[in-house]
Amino acid sequence: MDNEMTLTFLARSENEGLARIAVTSFMAQLDPTIEELSECKTIVSEAVSNAIIHGYADNPHGIITVYAVRYGSEVSVTIKDEGCGIEDIEQAREPLFTTKPELERSGMGFTIMESFSDFLQVESVLGKGTVVTFTKQILPIGTLVT
Amino acid sequence: MNFNLTMYPNDVLIVQLFGELDHHETEKVRTHISKAILQGNVKLLVWNLEHLHFMDSSGIGLVLGRMRELRAVDGQTILLNPSKTMQKIFQYSGLGNLIQFASEQQVISHSEGDCQWITK
Repeated sequence: MDNEMTLTFLARSENEGLARIAVTSFMAQLDPTIEELSECKTIVSEAVSNAIIHGYADNPHGIITVYAVRYGSEVSVTIKDEGCGIEDIEQAREPLFTTKPELERSGMGFTIMESFSDFLQVESVLGKGTVVTFTKQILPIGTLVT
Repeated sequence: MNFNLTMYPNDVLIVQLFGELDHHETEKVRTHISKAILQGNVKLLVWNLEHLHFMDSSGIGLVLGRMRELRAVDGQTILLNPSKTMQKIFQYSGLGNLIQFASEQQVISHSEGDCQWITK
C-alpha cells in the first residue's frame, strides 16, 4: 500500500461535496486525467447519495465512512454506511430500478458506478448496512500518448 | 451550485447551470424550473451545461422529471454542451439523442425558424 485515507461524516446531503473533494484530492498524486477524476467523483457521489437517501432514509444522524487506498497506479475506494441495507442487491443494480421514484431518483446510480469503475463490489446486510467498493486504474499520462 | 433561468421569445427556456449538481442541489433548482414550466408555455427547454463542472445521476432525475412536465405542452428538451463524463451519463440513461453542441444563440435562432429540425 502506498497511501490511505479515512473520512467519516454525518449522513447529510451537504457532505456529498466533501466526500467528492476528499477522494479527488487523494487521487491527485496519481496524475489522473480530468475524465478519470470526474468519473471517480461521480461514483463517490452516487454511493454517498445512496447511503444518505436509502441507507439512512434521510436520517442525518447516520455515519458514513469513506476509505481510500492507493496501490501503485490503482485506487480503491470504499463507501460504508450502517443503515437499513439493501434487500435485493441484484435488483438494485438493474438500470432504472429505484425504490424512490417520487424523489425523482433515476435508478441509474449503480449502472453509472459500474460503468465508470474497473471493478465494483456491493455488500449489504439488512438492518446492518451497505459497503460499496470500487477500484480504478489510473493510467500514467505517457501511456495515453503511445 | 448556481443557476440562471431566461425565457426567450418563441417559448424557449434556457437554464444555465454553474458549479456542481448533485442530490443536495437539485431540490432548489427543480422548484424554479417547474414553476417556469407550469406558468409559461415552454416549447423548448435548453439545459446549458457548459459551465457545469460536475453532475451525477441526480441530474438525470432532474431532466427526466422536467421532460415529464413538458409532455403536457409537447415541449422538447436539449442538453447543450455537456462534458465528456456527462455525455456518458446521459447516454447510459437513454438521453444521448438530446445532446447538442452549439451556442445558445444558434439554438434560439434555429427554434425561431422551424422546430422540426429537433428530433426527439
